[in-house]
Amino acid sequence: MSTTTLEKPAVGAPTKQKVMLCEGNEAAALGVALARPDMVAVYPITPQSSLVEHVAKLIADGRMDADIVDAEGEHSVLSVLQGGALAGARTYTATCGPGLAFMFEPYFRTSGMRLPIVMSIVTRDGITPQCVWGGHQDAMTVREVGWVQIYCETVQEVLDTTVMAFRIAEDHDVMLPVNICLDGNYLSYGTSRVELPEQSDVDAFMGAKDVNWHVALDPMKPMAVDPLTGGSGGKGPATFVRYRKSQCRGMQNALGVIEAVHAEWASRFGRSYAPLVEEYRLDDAEFAIMTLGSMTGAAKDAVDEAREAGRKVGLIKIKTFSPFPVEALMRALSKVRALGVVDRSVGFRWNCGPMYQEVLGVLYRLAREAGTVLPAMSFIGGLAGADITIGHFHRVIDATERLLDGPAPNEPVWLNEND
Amino acid sequence: MGRAYSTIAFDPAKCDGCGDCMMACAQAKTGTSDTARSRIQIVGRGNATKDATEDATENAFELALCRQCADPKCVTVCPAGALAKDGASGVIGWDASKCVDCLLCTVGCAYGGIALEQATGHVAKCDTCDGRPACVPACPKGALTYVTTAKIYNEVGDWEDLFAPGLAGCQGCNTELLMRHTLRRVGPDTVLATPPGCVPGMGSVGFNGTTGTKVPVFHPLLTNTAAMLAGVKRQFKRMGREVTALAIAGDGGASDVGFQSLSGAAERGEQMLFMVVDNEGYMNTGMQRSSCTPYGAWTSTTPIGAGCAAGQPAQGKTQDAKNLPLIMVNHRCAYVATASTAYMEDLYAKLERAIEASKTGFAYVHVYSPCTTGWRFASDQNMEVARKAVETNFVMLWEFTPGEGLNFTRPVDDPLPVTDYLKAMGRFRHLSPAQIEHIQGKVVENAKFVQRFSEQAHGG
Repeated sequence: MSTTTLEKPAVGAPTKQKVMLCEGNEAAALGVALARPDMVAVYPITPQSSLVEHVAKLIADGRMDADIVDAEGEHSVLSVLQGGALAGARTYTATCGPGLAFMFEPYFRTSGMRLPIVMSIVTRDGITPQCVWGGHQDAMTVREVGWVQIYCETVQEVLDTTVMAFRIAEDHDVMLPVNICLDGNYLSYGTSRVELPEQSDVDAFMGAKDVNWHVALDPMKPMAVDPLTGGSGGKGPATFVRYRKSQCRGMQNALGVIEAVHAEWASRFGRSYAPLVEEYRLDDAEFAIMTLGSMTGAAKDAVDEAREAGRKVGLIKIKTFSPFPVEALMRALSKVRALGVVDRSVGFRWNCGPMYQEVLGVLYRLAREAGTVLPAMSFIGGLAGADITIGHFHRVIDATERLLDGPAPNEPVWLNEND
Repeated sequence: MGRAYSTIAFDPAKCDGCGDCMMACAQAKTGTSDTARSRIQIVGRGNATKDATEDATENAFELALCRQCADPKCVTVCPAGALAKDGASGVIGWDASKCVDCLLCTVGCAYGGIALEQATGHVAKCDTCDGRPACVPACPKGALTYVTTAKIYNEVGDWEDLFAPGLAGCQGCNTELLMRHTLRRVGPDTVLATPPGCVPGMGSVGFNGTTGTKVPVFHPLLTNTAAMLAGVKRQFKRMGREVTALAIAGDGGASDVGFQSLSGAAERGEQMLFMVVDNEGYMNTGMQRSSCTPYGAWTSTTPIGAGCAAGQPAQGKTQDAKNLPLIMVNHRCAYVATASTAYMEDLYAKLERAIEASKTGFAYVHVYSPCTTGWRFASDQNMEVARKAVETNFVMLWEFTPGEGLNFTRPVDDPLPVTDYLKAMGRFRHLSPAQIEHIQGKVVENAKFVQRFSEQAHGG
């Protein structure tokens, strides 16, 4: 359980929000500006480029008061922010695909140093074969590196989640970097209506800027950051173990903090999102399909159509992927008798989707604690920017429904293979 | 702390007894060419001459010259108070109006530093020509040097040493010396970055939560020092605080895997002082080659082939060193300099300029730092190896600013043969004559190359 100590400032009357039309990348940039970071570092990469362009323009126009560092690559982008965060700055950047791969060394270290850096991943499929299109392979590849990862379904959710991410990262009980994952191409360039909160309302939501508590490198109080831990035989490994354990604790604390921050957002701005796991038409469902990110819209439409045809299908959307919302998922999964999981990336080791692998662990918990064995199967779709259409989701629903009476295949179903 | 004074030093190994120093002194002090009246006297020993063998020549000449002693016997024995040591300059002055010509001082001095001058009937002694001794520049062999490092001691001797005692460097390593001096000069309002290498290895960042550093220090990645430090500096600037951002990095990370970050920060003009301690390899991980390792050098990844003894090649590194400081010049940094711990005054002067430059732009100081362990020489030879590198032109000391261009700060017009440097170390022991020839050729070529930079800057 979370030990969060989020302060809840008094909620005043919500100011009328400006309605505008923008793409997901611009929405992310606007969310960043509202959170008032001190430092952003940027390097362009498709499909993230227009996001950092929007950030640069907001700063150039004086609508955002942040130090912008046009670094020479993603490796330095994250490194600059590490330095900034160690000096107390609120920091932000965005990347994707090969850029995320290139920043892996500092990426691992950011969570190790418990730096509250916020970074959008405008998700992109992996190379090779060469591919600049959307997919979740980049973010999935780094799921064991200790960053909080939250996926968005809509452009509005991108904007709102981006602001919330700073509160989550900087929470004293979390102290971990946060990724906001928005689907490359679909959300990055998808244009839709968004409501833009007033700066004053966001300021009230964020509270007094309190980032200086994590200044570690101050000549006024000299200390060493990240000294070497000793080898076996000394106290080194024990120190290391305690440190790792505290990282895991921070990650578990994040579950409660994410819920609390979302609840406060809903009360202030009138838009609510299921913080960890969204249950859609699940209460009377016999079976469910599981989605992640922007594919959820089409999936919900397919579920609605199937419902009209009298089929008892529901949907489970995972919003917070890391920390994995085990308890919330167990509650959701205990309502159904079969599950189809749609991944937008591949798990090379298990020959299935990576989210499916994670869910298998939850299904084991369910079997052990409730005695229920749920048949489940893996679908892989939307690779390399392919559409996962309502038609594809009907195939998913059909195949998942068959699990109620028949055997569950061990092979994944590859959508788009014969489109 | 007490005071230290400048002094004229004499290297008998370089003296060939030509007498030019005596001539210069006589002219400066008496306006005559009578070398008997020179206050510096070079005295031949035994039968040795300048034509004698090398070994005999080494100790062929001795020097009679006032040492400006700290506890001068001449002053103590003078009954008239005619001799007195100047507290500021350290020079022992002689007052003609008080001297009673008893000559007790000449008996008191063990160095022949004060003697009766027959022509005037009084004693005469060296007064260092007000800090610009005429004898020193007159010596064609460089046997005489005016050592003024006392200035550093007097200026910074009382400043706090910002490293605790007991760092874990190898015996004879000069990196500890370099760190202590640099930190002392840069001062406590500093954030120090020491990427993986010998510097953190000797304990700058520390182990298990303890550190020997009295300023905030962090361990960047080997690959991202300049970027991370830029973030630190920018945030302090944003908060309106004057903090010096200092990196003390090794040559491997800087010239190889960390070069992108270094180059990017230099291009953006990030306000920091980036110091590279160049020991020409990855010395803390087992002495592997870096792109700064010179041609021919043995390292653990450029080993000496088994056929070497049989006259086969495969001997040490097969490429020339990357000239990192010149590459930084081409970034038009606010300041770039090369330095050596064998020339501390030069280093201090450069540190001063680099710190100033780092307030507005990127300052880069490249310090050649002999490695007792990896270069294979005795631990008491560090300064000597460092000095030989400069005297042979293997290493050139210069500084660069966009406004002033490249200037040599310690030009070596008459360099020693490079073998004088190479033979001081085990890592070059295996070299074939052809390899030595290659290195000597590169030294000449490099000197010309850097010289051209200097000339371009000055319209030459």
